[in-house]
Order: sequence, then structure tokens, then C-alpha cells
Amino acid sequence: MQGSARRTGVMTDVHRRFLQLLMTHGVLEEWDVKRMQKHCYKVHDRNATVDKLEDFINNINSVLESLYIEIKRGVTEDDGRPIYALVNLATTSVSKMATDFAENELDLFRKALELIIDSESGFASSTNILNLVDQLKGKKMKKKEAELVLQKFVQNKWLIEKEGEFTLHGRAILEMEQYIRETYPDSVKICNICHSLLIQGQSCETCGIRMHLPCVAKYFRSNAEPRCPHCNDYWPHEIPEVFDPEKEREPGISKSNRKSLRSRRH
Amino acid sequence: MLQTPESRGLPLPQAEGEKDGGHDGETPAPTASQELATEKPGTGREEGATEPALTRKGARALAAKALARRRAYRRLNRTVAELVQFLLVKDKKKSPITRSEMVKYVIGDLKALFPDIVARAAEHLRYVFGFELKLFDRKHHTYILINKLKPLEEEEEEDLGGDGPRLGLLMMILGLIYMKGNSAREAQVWEMLRRLGVHPSKNHFLFGYPKRLIMEDFVQQRYLSYRRVPHTKPPEYEFSWGPRSNLEISKMRVLGFVAKLHKKEPQHWPVQYREALADEADRARAKARAEASMRARAAARPGIHFW
Repeated sequence: MQGSARRTGVMTDVHRRFLQLLMTHGVLEEWDVKRMQKHCYKVHDRNATVDKLEDFINNINSVLESLYIEIKRGVTEDDGRPIYALVNLATTSVSKMATDFAENELDLFRKALELIIDSESGFASSTNILNLVDQLKGKKMKKKEAELVLQKFVQNKWLIEKEGEFTLHGRAILEMEQYIRETYPDSVKICNICHSLLIQGQSCETCGIRMHLPCVAKYFRSNAEPRCPHCNDYWPHEIPEVFDPEKEREPGISKSNRKSLRSRRH
Repeated sequence: MLQTPESRGLPLPQAEGEKDGGHDGETPAPTASQELATEKPGTGREEGATEPALTRKGARALAAKALARRRAYRRLNRTVAELVQFLLVKDKKKSPITRSEMVKYVIGDLKALFPDIVARAAEHLRYVFGFELKLFDRKHHTYILINKLKPLEEEEEEDLGGDGPRLGLLMMILGLIYMKGNSAREAQVWEMLRRLGVHPSKNHFLFGYPKRLIMEDFVQQRYLSYRRVPHTKPPEYEFSWGPRSNLEISKMRVLGFVAKLHKKEPQHWPVQYREALADEADRARAKARAEASMRARAAARPGIHFW
């Protein structure tokens, strides 16, 4: 037997419904996932006590392991909001997108991805992306068409748009982190605190190390004189405020809080 | 490094954390298909245990064979997992999946093991996700996934994400077809939709281009059938329920939907109500027959268990 005697979990209709819904939505925020979990219990096992979300998901993941997929938890890079998606453990590039998009559309995404990874800010301008339409594989695409395709990526939560610039949605980072790290090992940026892939973040102007905004917030919490963890120079940026699970109350109330958090400039 | 998970398939021989590519190639490893085809279940353990006096060469040959077998099992498990993902992702588009697609994109040179791989993938789909992999068209070898979880009550209808409005539109069309005696002229369908503010070639904020959605997507996905009405000049066309609709939804449910729309009871339409009742009885009989034959097959199956 391999190593630990890990027991595979048990699937019931509660878990199956949960998986089906998660697959339908692609990516969900944590409050939505909790609501969905309760809903699945209500539909299939009304009288059972609702498992703690972490245990519930670990149970499902132990069953999913033999299928090389898992429910992965991440946080949004801009405001630290926890999100969940079903991801491949074996890297096969942009496989999940492959059924929804044509060959030239996938290539457009790849080009945008490269620009985003190479950029300093983690954002690629619409103009720069559109200037690459002539280099796309597959059927020829005009710039006007490419604009619509970029919007499709935003709607399907692969990209985020902010003032004409595009960056990766948390979902894309969750799904493709391994692929990105393997495909672009030289240009990829890593967070100094959590060691995960970094697209958006803050960097030290002296030594160049980078940190995610939520990682910055956590690391420098209640620190009057923030200093770079690597070179000890003063940290030159404003310490952002990010999502705090304790502060969130019922989804109905916190939704308006969320809107104001999102519009805050970092 | 990916940990080899506890296999839910054929038993894995004992592995002491050995990695691939470590053997010295003394004996040529047989192809994956050959290995697995000749392997009998339950004999995958150390054969060396019954032969105490082994020469060093013999022992190495056995070890190489065992390694090749492990590799073949891993490859088989991996292929099953890829097929499961492939089917899930293809089914999202709702177009039927052909056997040749599966072989081309996933199974490759394990083609000889296609039935076994498909059976194992089907079991995963059933146990883990609650989907049934159904051979949809025997002649063209196409498959679809059917949701086996119990259909939801009115109050339980949750937000289906982007699919909700389209399925609502489909229900309207299925309802119209049913109430008109199981087929409706194309003109009638568009007339009904126009009254709802849905025009064939005008981009709709929920449905996109309705004409494309209905004439292409729904027909391709086998939710609707589109046929020319014979002896009509100029040619007229009609819609009827497609085979997927017959599998995924019942006449009674559609009648209930229509009744609710009109704020009446299903019995208000006695002809359609009788037909829906007969359909319910047919489905119950078919279900009982399927369950009985599955039980019989399970009892007769010789020793291999997938779970």
C-alpha cells in the first residue's frame, strides 16, 4: 500500500448535487458555496447536520483524487475574497476552456495571458492585446471580433477588466497556476509570503520581492512601520484593507459592503 | 509528484514508492494493452512469493515485469480519469459524444480496452457525480450523460447559472409542442415567442440570437427535432420533442409547467392529462425493468468489483 492509510470518503446525493452545481457555476465565492452546501442538504438530506465546509470539501476531494481533480480554494488577488473552483490536478493547459472557445479564441487568450504575465502591473492593455490579432492561429480574426471575444472571457470569469486593461480572474489563477508556472518559468512572479503565483501585487522598490495584496495586509497587520521582509527597507506602499471573514455577516447585508470594497482603489 | 491514489479499479501490486523509468530494461516491457489484456484480476501480487529459489536474473526479470504492470495500471487509471473529465466537459455543451471522439482525444492506443475503460468511467460518473452514461445511438456509437439526481421541486429550483433562462425557453417550446399534439409548426413556435418579445434574429439579452439557439443548439443537442412537413408547398417545417427531451423530462412535468402558466390544474386538459398519465406508467415500467436486469447482471458478474 502507498504510504498513509488514507480512507476514501463517501459520496451521497448531497455531495453529488454540490459537485454538479459547482461545475455549473465554474467558480463561486465562499458565502455562495456555504449557501449552496446548505441547499444541497435541504434537498437531499433534510434532517442531517450540515458538515463544516472544510470537512465536507475534504471528504469530496478524497473521492475525487483518483480522478485527478479537486475542489480548490483560493483568494482573489485584489481584495482577498475566498473562492472555490473544481480544478485539474494534472496540467493539461487551458483544457477546460477548450470546449467553449474556438482555436483562434484560445490563442487570443494565450496571447493575453503572456502579456499579463510579462507585465509589471499584472495588467495588459486592450490595445496591446488587440495588436496581436494578426498572429493568431486558426481562422483570421478582426480587432472588432477580438474585442467581443475578450468580453466573453470576462463574462466566463477567465479575465477581469479594469478601465480598458485586463488581468487574470481568480478562477484562471486557480485552474492554471501549475500550467503557467511550467510554461513560463522565467517570467512568472511568485509571492514572497505564500509562494504562490502572483499576477497583481506590491513590490519592494529596493530588492524587488513581491507580495499579494491580501498577503501584504496580513503580514503588516497592526504594524506601524512596515518593512520589507527581505531587505528590511521601508515598505513604500499603502497597506491595503482586504476581506475579513469575521466582519462579514449575512450575505444580504454584506453584499453592499462588498461593492464598496471592490471600488476602492489600491 | 502525483500520489497514486487508492485505486477504485483493478488491484495494484505492492509498490514500495518506486517511480517510473527506474528499471534497467533487461526484458522488453510489453505494450500496455497486452499487459492488461492477459492480466487476470487478483493475481497481481508478487508471483515470486511462491518460488523461493530464484536466480538473480530471474528476480530482476520479475521485478521488471511487476514494474511494467504497475505502469500499465497507472496508465489505465489515468486514462479512465481523463475520459471522465472529457465526458463531463463535452456534456456541458450538451452535444452527444461519439466513440471515435473518445478514442481520438483520450483513449488512443488503449483502444482494445475501450469497453473496460468506458465501463469504469461510467461507474465514476455515476458514483461521484450522479450522472448516467447512456449509449444514446447504437448505430452511430454516441453517448450522452443523464442526470440521475432526483428532479427538483418548484421551491427547490435553484439558480442554474447561465443555463436557467435558456432552459426556461426550451420548456415553453416543449410545452407548446406537447399541447399541440406532440408537434408544432415552426410558424406557431415563432408566433408564441414573438408574443413574449423574443424575435428570431434580434439579439436577446438573455438568449442571444434565438434563431441560432433554437434551430442550431437545441436541435444539435437533441432537445428538439426539426422536420419538414411532407406535401407542403411552400415547404413547412415542424418541431417535435427530441430524444434527449424524452429522456430528461416527462410529459407530466411539462403539462404541470403549462398548467401553472395558465393558473389551472393539469386535469383541465383531459386529453393531454391522460396521455401524460400513460407516459408516467410507461416510465415506471421501464425503470422497474432496468433495475431488475441490473440486479440480475450484478448477481451474475464473476468476481471483479469496481468498488
